[in-house]
Amino acid sequence: MSIMEYNGGAVVTMIGKNCVAIASDLRFGVQSATISTNNPKVFKINDRCFLGLSGLATDIETLYEKLVFRVNLYKLREERDISPRVFSNMVASTLYEKRFGPYFTEPVICGLEEVDGVLKPYISATDLIGAPVYTDDFLMTGPCNPALYGMCETMWRPNLEPDALFETVSQCLLSSLDRDAISGWGAMVYLITPENVTVKKLQGRQD
Amino acid sequence: MEDLSQAVSLGTSIMAVEYDGGVVMGADSRTTTGSYIANRVTNKITPIYDNIYCCRSGSAADTQAISDYVRYYLQLHQSELGEEPEVKTAAQLFQLLCYGNKNNLQAGIICAGWDQHNGGSVYNIPLGGSLVRQPFAIGGSGSTYIYGYCDATYKIGMTKEECKEFTKNSLALAMARDGSSGGVIRLVTIDKSGVEREMIPGNKLPKFYDGR
Repeated sequence: MSIMEYNGGAVVTMIGKNCVAIASDLRFGVQSATISTNNPKVFKINDRCFLGLSGLATDIETLYEKLVFRVNLYKLREERDISPRVFSNMVASTLYEKRFGPYFTEPVICGLEEVDGVLKPYISATDLIGAPVYTDDFLMTGPCNPALYGMCETMWRPNLEPDALFETVSQCLLSSLDRDAISGWGAMVYLITPENVTVKKLQGRQD
Repeated sequence: MEDLSQAVSLGTSIMAVEYDGGVVMGADSRTTTGSYIANRVTNKITPIYDNIYCCRSGSAADTQAISDYVRYYLQLHQSELGEEPEVKTAAQLFQLLCYGNKNNLQAGIICAGWDQHNGGSVYNIPLGGSLVRQPFAIGGSGSTYIYGYCDATYKIGMTKEECKEFTKNSLALAMARDGSSGGVIRLVTIDKSGVEREMIPGNKLPKFYDGR
């Protein structure tokens, strides 16, 4: 059993028209045993930047706290909020620092980036040692990946309005969770637009 | 990625309960390869004879092969016997195969049914190949989560309906906690008049406290 599949977990993010969505499952388990069903894996960095982490639960906690520490220092020095692009870089270099003894997590970053005065959606992901990937459609992480790829490739279209994006992300995630034994037990979906951030908890299969 | 280096396994929660006049058998419906759910509507309760069924847990390949052998041997036995075979006989055939090949098998089987000489009976054949008759038997990876619940809830002399409720509730609890169990609950009731199959889909499962 791979160390990345010890606790399970799934995170997916998608780009819409002037909005992004990021969602995760809620399970915390130890191999096949489910310990709690209240463990979301999406964290807010600031109003315009969110982080999703899957993989080993202890490393998720540690990496998140390390990144928050660095972001706080950034904010003190720069006197401004960190942008998703810069945060993405920060995540990649934090992971590469541990190149030969890595954190067993694969992060996904999403947010709204200011480009020439206009807010544009941004998503990126890295592997466990900080190799980044940037796309303009969707990204996912966790043992649920193969199922999520199939669902997202089929259901995603460019320029989805916020409501449609929310539906698409939710259905892709819920259907994929049905095919993964170590993720699930509900989901949490964040929809980020220039005006606000909405969070919804989804009821899924509890098995 | 689907982990084909890991064998197809019936993670599983299985159960059988005896009542006066027959047995109730239940199972979840999840088959996994590693963490990928290869089949989420599996049928783990397989017929061995008209009046005898078995619940399978462990390696999917091993349990399918074993139940095919037992079905074949039982058919030959019935031809010589001239009447419906006893559940005990089927269970002992399972034991013969599971104990004799214990080093090469990973199979936990519950054999249950109704016959005219003994009424309803439930036999548990766990991993090493031992055979034990029990008023109710639980098996599979999910069963570890419901030993306490089953011991606390079971009463001698339950009716058919009470046995079904008991099975449904126990399996729902096991499926909620065990990652290797899930899907739908399949129930099979065997008595003098024959066999009745039921399926309880995910949204109709009994609901318990789940953290919310």
